[in-house]
Amino acid sequence: MSEEGRAIRHLEGEKDAIHVNKLRKEFDEIVAVDDLDLRIPRGILYGMIGPNGSGKTTAIKMLVGLLKATAGKAYVLGEKVPIQENVARIGYMPQEMAIYTDLTIHENLELFAELFSIDKDVFAKREEELLTVIDLMDRRDSLVSQLSGGMKHRASLACALIHDPEVVFLDEPTVGVDPELRVGFWKYFADLKARGKTVILTTHYMDEAVKCDTVGMMRLGKLIGEGTPRSLMDRTSTSDLESAFLALARRAVA
Amino acid sequence: MRLERVLAIAKKNLRSLKHDRRTVGFLVLMPLLMITIFGYTFGGNVKNVDVYIVNLDQTPANQSLATAIITNLQTRDTLHIVKVYTSSSMIAASTEKVKDADIWATIVFNETFTQDVISAASSGNGQPASVRMTMDGTNPNIVQAISNDLQTAIRSALGAGASAAPISVVPDLVYGKDARFIDFFAPGVMGLAAMMVTFMLSIISFVHERSAFTLDRLLSTPVTEGEIVAGYALAFGLVGLVQSSVIITAAVLLFDVQIAGNVLLVVLVIFLLGVGNQGLGFLLSSIAKNEFQAIQFLPLILFPSILLSGVFWPLESVPTLLRPVSYFIPLTYAVEGCRSVMIRGWGLGGIWFQLLVLAAFATAMLILSTYGLKRRR
Repeated sequence: MSEEGRAIRHLEGEKDAIHVNKLRKEFDEIVAVDDLDLRIPRGILYGMIGPNGSGKTTAIKMLVGLLKATAGKAYVLGEKVPIQENVARIGYMPQEMAIYTDLTIHENLELFAELFSIDKDVFAKREEELLTVIDLMDRRDSLVSQLSGGMKHRASLACALIHDPEVVFLDEPTVGVDPELRVGFWKYFADLKARGKTVILTTHYMDEAVKCDTVGMMRLGKLIGEGTPRSLMDRTSTSDLESAFLALARRAVA
Repeated sequence: MRLERVLAIAKKNLRSLKHDRRTVGFLVLMPLLMITIFGYTFGGNVKNVDVYIVNLDQTPANQSLATAIITNLQTRDTLHIVKVYTSSSMIAASTEKVKDADIWATIVFNETFTQDVISAASSGNGQPASVRMTMDGTNPNIVQAISNDLQTAIRSALGAGASAAPISVVPDLVYGKDARFIDFFAPGVMGLAAMMVTFMLSIISFVHERSAFTLDRLLSTPVTEGEIVAGYALAFGLVGLVQSSVIITAAVLLFDVQIAGNVLLVVLVIFLLGVGNQGLGFLLSSIAKNEFQAIQFLPLILFPSILLSGVFWPLESVPTLLRPVSYFIPLTYAVEGCRSVMIRGWGLGGIWFQLLVLAAFATAMLILSTYGLKRRR
């Protein structure tokens, strides 16, 4: 690539929160992510949808640096993955609960705050703010193992956001969350977006994906459709995202 | 590497323990139980104890009782007679060898030994002849074995009916003058407990860290693999230290164990052993898929350590074929180091080699753990 080309690529990367180019991940014989191309501008709510095994989690794990790509390139906030410099600018909530159940909520939050080198005063403010949002202020000093499933989920979300990241990867944040709480979660995601954050989440609940600005539909490691929920439904002459997905899946096979 | 992140990881591990009272109770009670149980039960056959003999007996060899005793000693395998000198000038050099812990004892028969025995036996009430022995008393089991074996050899050399042998054995202990079994194995139990706990805590915590995906979360923060490994080492190395303090205190208060040297050196030995073994646990945790599999490693690591590292039985009782294995077990060096400090009263100069081996072990484990964690990505 020429110097000029490199510069353009870099500029494009900076403009986008995520820029993925022919990203591929193979596990032995299985192709989990199949030459994925993706571009996610900053400040939007992006939903990756698709059935289990469609490569959503693998793609996210590569973007946050937990998995090495077999081939292809990816940039997060303009930095080539695996990122080193921008680590503190991204937040990641794994699909699994992934918080220390033998610590209290406060201790979990404090651990991650310390790993992100957050000032004690700043941490205290952030903690109060987050615990209020997720409605767990009164359980701050409870052991996570003593919390209900939904509470654990909320605590896990708080851990991903304690350092106020610019880009947040949320892998299946609403799985196993009761409907009432789910509404609260989506309100908070919209709030994050309103504050200029880029939120990238995966879900296999097609009905809730309509709340995203842009939806990327994945199947067998490939992106089979991308756009606003409305445009995807229009393009497939369907009235809901689930039907749109099925129509696109049929086209992909054909 | 940033200290604040290492400390954050260490704090996390210690806090987890704080909330788990049962485990903390176990961590304190287990070593207490061990030292108490082993304090009252002890066994093992000692073999191939290295000794020098200085035989100055002037009686011709074919009539010399000293020669007969030496020949008899050679027929059994309790003692391994490395050298037999016949010059009195070698007494001092041989004693030095005992002081350096190169050999366990020097046995000296004086010039008139055979004649003394004969005159003592014929006069009936004369002074008994004496065998002088300079011994390293660090290991009471070995002291006992040398004394017993020498008595047996004397009895057979004198022939039947000589139970009231006109020969007295005069032992001179260079270390551990009042050492009892408990003095000998308190350092061993301390090392063993620290090793067990650090290994177990580390392998189980880290397997859990993987299976609960908290490791993924940690690795998506700025914390580096090296910082995670260092944080673990710090936390569990400290736990090992607390444990050995419990044992030292119990040993001193309950069993009146002597500590001849600097207790801080003992602490250093135990800390290095703890760090090394937590590293080993960390490393093996990558092979185990869950906590259940992790537990299965425990006997694999523990049994060779218990049997071959000299914790309860001296290395001299380890079958020759397995002896090389002993030298590959870090606990062997920790136990030897602690014993040298606590019983022999040795300082840094005396245990530098053990410290070096343990430091190398700990460093290797930490580097390999970090590398193993990096490879995972």
